[in-house]
Amino acid sequence: MTDKNEIIATPYFVGMALQVQEDALVQIEGSDAPVDELRLILLGPKSELAKLTKQIMNVNPADRGQVGTVINQVKQTIAEALRQKSQTTTSAARSEIGDWYDVSAPGVLPPGGHLHIVSQAIGEITRIFERIGFTRVRYPEVDWDWYPFASLNMPPNHPARDEWETFFVTFPGTPGHNPKKQKIVLTPHTSNGQVREMEKGKLPIRMINIAKCYRRQSDVSHVPMFHQFEGLYVDQGVSIAHLKGVLDYFVKQFFGPKREARIRPFHFQFTEPSFEVDISCGVCLGRARLPNGQGCKLCKEGWLELGGAGMVHPVVLANGGIETQKYNGFAFGWGIERTYMMKAGTKLDDVRLLYSGDIRFLEQF
Amino acid sequence: MNILIPDSWLREYLKTKATPTQIKEYLSLCGPSVERINRVGKETIYDVEITSNRPDAMSLVGIAREGAAILPRFKVPATLTHDPYRTDTKALVEKYQKDGPKNLKIVTDPKLNPRFAAIVIDSVKVGPSPAWLRQKLEATGIRSLNNVIDITNYLMRAFGQPAHAFDFTQIKAQDGIPTMKLRSSRQGEKITTLEGKTHSLPGDDIVIEDGSGRLIDLCGIMGAENSSIKPQTQTVVLFLQTYDPSHIRRTSMALAQRTEAANLFEKGLDSELVLPALLTGIELVTEIAGGKVASRLYDLYPQPYQPTTVTVNREKIKAYLGVELGDGEIRAILTALGFTVNATSAHIVVTVPSWRSGDVTLDVDIIEEIARLYGFHKIASRLPASEPPVVLPDPDLTWEEEIKTRLRDWGYTETYTYSLISAQLMDIFSLDKNQTYKIANPLSSEWVYLRPSLVPSLLSAAKQNLAFRPDLRLFEISMIYSYRPGNLPAEIPTLIVAWSGREFPLAKGLAQAIFALLGVNFPVDIQPPTSTYYHHSRSLALGTWGQVGEVAPELLTKLAIKKPLTLLELNLAELIAKAKPGHTYQPLPKYPPSFEDLAFILPPQTYVGPIITALKGAHPLVANVELLDTHAQTRTLHITYLSNQRNLTAEDVRPVREKLVTIAQDKFGAKLKTA
Repeated sequence: MTDKNEIIATPYFVGMALQVQEDALVQIEGSDAPVDELRLILLGPKSELAKLTKQIMNVNPADRGQVGTVINQVKQTIAEALRQKSQTTTSAARSEIGDWYDVSAPGVLPPGGHLHIVSQAIGEITRIFERIGFTRVRYPEVDWDWYPFASLNMPPNHPARDEWETFFVTFPGTPGHNPKKQKIVLTPHTSNGQVREMEKGKLPIRMINIAKCYRRQSDVSHVPMFHQFEGLYVDQGVSIAHLKGVLDYFVKQFFGPKREARIRPFHFQFTEPSFEVDISCGVCLGRARLPNGQGCKLCKEGWLELGGAGMVHPVVLANGGIETQKYNGFAFGWGIERTYMMKAGTKLDDVRLLYSGDIRFLEQF
Repeated sequence: MNILIPDSWLREYLKTKATPTQIKEYLSLCGPSVERINRVGKETIYDVEITSNRPDAMSLVGIAREGAAILPRFKVPATLTHDPYRTDTKALVEKYQKDGPKNLKIVTDPKLNPRFAAIVIDSVKVGPSPAWLRQKLEATGIRSLNNVIDITNYLMRAFGQPAHAFDFTQIKAQDGIPTMKLRSSRQGEKITTLEGKTHSLPGDDIVIEDGSGRLIDLCGIMGAENSSIKPQTQTVVLFLQTYDPSHIRRTSMALAQRTEAANLFEKGLDSELVLPALLTGIELVTEIAGGKVASRLYDLYPQPYQPTTVTVNREKIKAYLGVELGDGEIRAILTALGFTVNATSAHIVVTVPSWRSGDVTLDVDIIEEIARLYGFHKIASRLPASEPPVVLPDPDLTWEEEIKTRLRDWGYTETYTYSLISAQLMDIFSLDKNQTYKIANPLSSEWVYLRPSLVPSLLSAAKQNLAFRPDLRLFEISMIYSYRPGNLPAEIPTLIVAWSGREFPLAKGLAQAIFALLGVNFPVDIQPPTSTYYHHSRSLALGTWGQVGEVAPELLTKLAIKKPLTLLELNLAELIAKAKPGHTYQPLPKYPPSFEDLAFILPPQTYVGPIITALKGAHPLVANVELLDTHAQTRTLHITYLSNQRNLTAEDVRPVREKLVTIAQDKFGAKLKTA
């Protein structure tokens, strides 16, 4: 209860009055005590209502008449409930309900919905990178081939384009004169977001681009539609050490504190140097041997391939309108599905199930 | 590209005591990735992945050169031996300067063919290869055919330089001299390659014709059948070239002839390697197939390689590595890879060896070489210390995630269906194929059109699951692709929800909840959806934002679905653009509300929505009107009265109630039901 001299705000007082009424009605409903006894408890001089009534003096004088009316209404409501109670006899059933309850019966579950694992993974990855200042963006799935290819240092007919089994889109009508807008593809990777992000003209950049990608492939470990996440970091004085720092951070956050990342030489047209990123195996932790001396059956080598990364190629920075003398950066990107399956140990043996739409599968996550 | 490198053959070029395991581990960390070690009999074979920028490493010598540079970094001594670039070519070339009994006339175009080297060898006995050669080729995954062909394949694998041999007698003469004329092809010219396939050429392919004008070689890809080595061949032309990579690439792709030679040539090979490789070839043909050199050595190489240099700023090296390397270490690394180093205090000037000239042109290329040999694994790992940029999150992404999470918690299950749909589905749903993006090279007839609507996919998904769940509640948020002539599609994030059964109230309620979540007023107009996918009366357009309702029975019939289904579609892009989620504080009521239930009897086919809207706005004391109960023509409305000025008495409420009853009566013909 409040201090005697403290002013009680009118809405608060009304709230208290309604609370007293609610408590009284519940007590009347649930109690087996004689009605007279209840009347004394609820409306008598020591009742909560009586205590509240005394506090009318603490209400703003202008409102006192009004809250008095509220108190009166509460009193009448309680009295009416008591009157009705006195007319009904106590049933034997009620005491039985009070005495025994089947606590072994199953509970009533809240509605059980499911997010697709890809959405779950996207959420988790987004949160991890947000904590180190990367913001999630999304770029077109259907794009000018300039962005996923030529802008990334892969001119038309370049052999490196073979590495992506690309879907081409029949041009809608006639192309205009812009040489960058002659062909449309389903982007085979999220790297199409690199130059698009640079074109925003804001530096430095810490981007996570997550989107659907498409490749002409379908087997137990490949689907024609999948998701990638692409990190892009552009600033002054960026080093390979920073890339390793970010990769290690991600690997520990996503896969667990005992896991490690390592980078090995590779080649991409749009990064220089380029790396292949491995993570230490979750079973043998990179040792390739189990404590009992046997070879690790999961990885054989101690490491699992995760994806690609590299220092952004100067040609790419220039295509994004960035001064290459002043700025450099790194990028990395790989498949959501693959990354998630490597973590979760989902034992999913056919990635096509993810997009099968089968409710019996979807409800498992 | 992966190639198989037999350990014993590798050690002919790489002198080292490194174990196969060490070779695998160290090369993978600093150079080409050795993916596997296979053991075949006594032989250990490395399966090596070589990236497309390193055609110089796609050979035994290339891998040996990497090994000789990398292994010593791990304190395992290793040296490169029999380096073809160190062959004393001068003495040998002099030996073959004299004309022999056979002559060749060679005409070429240096733009297409920077170097053309050939020699005629006579008295050759075509037959099986000796065991050592067969074993080498087989261990590296090449089938042994006959000694002459095997030698050309040996050269390709040992040095990474494809080689070719022709039957000299099949090269027709012009002006009495057998002639090879290298030129660009005309469109539609025909050539039958040695595996018996006839190609009609796309044009501008590199070919060789003989003196009679017939095509005898599809250069860089495959020889022609007419000039191929036969068991009875006695005189061969052994020839090695380099070609313009983009021509080889284009022809090979257009004809779908992806030979190993094409794979190498299209990446750009080193013209400097042609002569040493040919000299080795001559040696092998004369030794193994008993041939005798019968012509002079032809070597058309008008523009010999001029070494290029690349300058690197030391500061930049330090910035990239995050550590400063001593001059000695940088020099050692680059020299081991064949670069020549000149250093000043601020810069390092590096001369690029011929075999790396295609790949190393920028300072960052040199930095990569230094960094990988230093060891990426040795570079420290640390998060950037700089300030993060201030970026506002994309509201689409934030809201989509929020809506998905709510739907999950409200009991809905998310699915992802493919963005591409079949022509058949397009037809069933009467979608206009001329206004839809189409895949030019589909993988399957299932995935051809970029869907302009999520309805076909989700109804298909629903149909597939009806047997499993009597109360299906599926949703998806994905793009639809809206047609824009001459442009990319507008990708519109769209929500679709499907229920099994007649669930209009649930579907509308869900839409109301999402509008409320976003702070967008729910549309009050009663309009049917423009889409024909919906039941004509049990459906509602939600302004321009979407539609909700039961699926049209005719559509269900077409899809062979026997159970009613209900759908909700929302254009999230437009809805989110209008979102005003901020909540303004309302002072808490000082006075208790009072309630009243009014039951009205409505004329048949009267919508209750407009009545509720009208009553809500009828008087300032009416705080809310809710539909409490529906029974036959009776609608019971739960009215909340509230005043900010005083406690409401029966006297206060009566005139308001009368007004409500009058409005319901006069505007809607609804009669108050009296007890």
